[in-house]
Amino acid sequence: MIGMRGQRLLVTGMGGELGSLVTSMLESEPWVGSIVGIDVDPPRRRLRRAEFHRVDPHDRERIVDIVTAFDPHVLVHLAVWEPDARAGTAVARRFTDAAAMSFFGAAGECRSLESIVTRSGIEVYGRGRHALTRPDESAPVRPTSEYGRMLTRLESTARQVADRAGVPVNTLRLAPVLGKHVPSPLGRLLRQPVVPFSLLADQAFTVVEVGDAARAFVAAAQRRLDQPVNVVGPGAITSLQALTRGRRLPIPLVGPEWGLARRLSHLVGAPIPEHVLEVLHRGRLADGSHARELLGFAPEVSTPEVIARLYEWESVVRVPPALRVVA
Amino acid sequence: MASVADVPRQMIERGRDLALAPVRPFLPAGSVDEWGRDEHVLSALGPLFQLRWDTLVGGEQHLPARKGALLVTNDRRLSFSPLYTSWALARATGRPVRFVGHPDIAPFGPVLRRLGAILHDPVEVRGALRHGELVVLGAAPTRHPRHAGSVDVSMVGAAVLAGVSVHPVASMSSPIGRSARVQVGAAVRLRTKRRGPLAEVEIAEATQHHLQRQLDELGGVTTGMAPLDWLGEG
Repeated sequence: MIGMRGQRLLVTGMGGELGSLVTSMLESEPWVGSIVGIDVDPPRRRLRRAEFHRVDPHDRERIVDIVTAFDPHVLVHLAVWEPDARAGTAVARRFTDAAAMSFFGAAGECRSLESIVTRSGIEVYGRGRHALTRPDESAPVRPTSEYGRMLTRLESTARQVADRAGVPVNTLRLAPVLGKHVPSPLGRLLRQPVVPFSLLADQAFTVVEVGDAARAFVAAAQRRLDQPVNVVGPGAITSLQALTRGRRLPIPLVGPEWGLARRLSHLVGAPIPEHVLEVLHRGRLADGSHARELLGFAPEVSTPEVIARLYEWESVVRVPPALRVVA
Repeated sequence: MASVADVPRQMIERGRDLALAPVRPFLPAGSVDEWGRDEHVLSALGPLFQLRWDTLVGGEQHLPARKGALLVTNDRRLSFSPLYTSWALARATGRPVRFVGHPDIAPFGPVLRRLGAILHDPVEVRGALRHGELVVLGAAPTRHPRHAGSVDVSMVGAAVLAGVSVHPVASMSSPIGRSARVQVGAAVRLRTKRRGPLAEVEIAEATQHHLQRQLDELGGVTTGMAPLDWLGEG
């Protein structure tokens, strides 16, 4: 736990829903002095104290200038692009890799750096044959999707920089994050009126609510942990259970027709990336019991509750055009 | 006022509600636990299990009230003893009881997972035991119903590392009848405390020995006296 006040925090990915939520929570923490954020998009909520810089992750020189001038004590790295959330898989991979290299590299140049907290996901454990049902943090990292491989590379880059700089790195491996304004391919798919599910393998998965994920980052920034921590909501649900709860029409699929279903889903605006397909076929659970002991915090909103809230959010509301009276 | 664009949506919603109405009561949202076991599916299948196995459970007082425990049962080939043992013990104790070993291939793996199966992997078993779960492990399968096969040392090692007790559970079922018995034994304790890997080797051997003794003492698949025996009693 940090004993002194006035800590300087650098938040990358501040423009996203999770980044802006983490920043707004950090702003009200008494131990936080100043906050600087960098992202390619502007923040999604009003921030009172934080200073924001809109920079492309490929613009390494400018990033290094901003970061070294600020000289942060803690780097909170949230600049992760989930495939088909805001960008396609190729763009997401390019942006995530570039952001990791630029931000971690720049932070490594800072003399005051004391700790790195980085976002990752439980996708790093993979869902290959004989993969553990509920891996904890000690389980081997064997990603089986592109997103999992992206996150594994991110963790590796963070570790290399942290080792060179001699600072601890705390990786938060999040379950799929769902929330009102969070762009998530899983959430978008589940909200479609007609959704495919695997008839032969309708397996359980877990998610985490965006508020709980943000609180985990605030708790992690306060501590100097040097290990990964799984952050998952309690409980689990299967795709079919989620769909019936949301009164969606489930379409049972058994195998080859998944290719067609993915293309159709892409056409209607809800692409199914590899890691979401993995959730539908193999499920995705993780042991998050260490979070309370390590972070002093554990997610409170259960997976069935998060899914229930997903379906309570208002859909697109059509506003009829106002009558124009010609004078 | 509903617009023309709303008509297909309303039709889809009506069709969807009609299609889901019969299945919705069978798919409650919170019935799957964090290991994928589905309490609702188990209670729905309860009458079927009951039809196949009329199981008498004894010795459940030996089980810890809250902590996890590894329960090693004998396994006659094709008797599915880990399955009916876990189901019977779950009913007797009111706690979810899992069993080790499901093929990781659809549709058998996902179905068995819903019934409480976990992977035959020491890391997976250790994780479950550490979380206070009761886990049934089948000993090596045998042809004779009264022979206890060898016990997997790596699984016992998982219990040792998780700091939970190992109990022998004698099980017996009729291949054609419904009668079945499950008898839980006291926790296996070594006379000499071991610090290293000898602990799991010796506990595994002792568990097999205790299990064999339990099977020798168990009697038949039914308890009590047969009607002919009453005549002998005078």
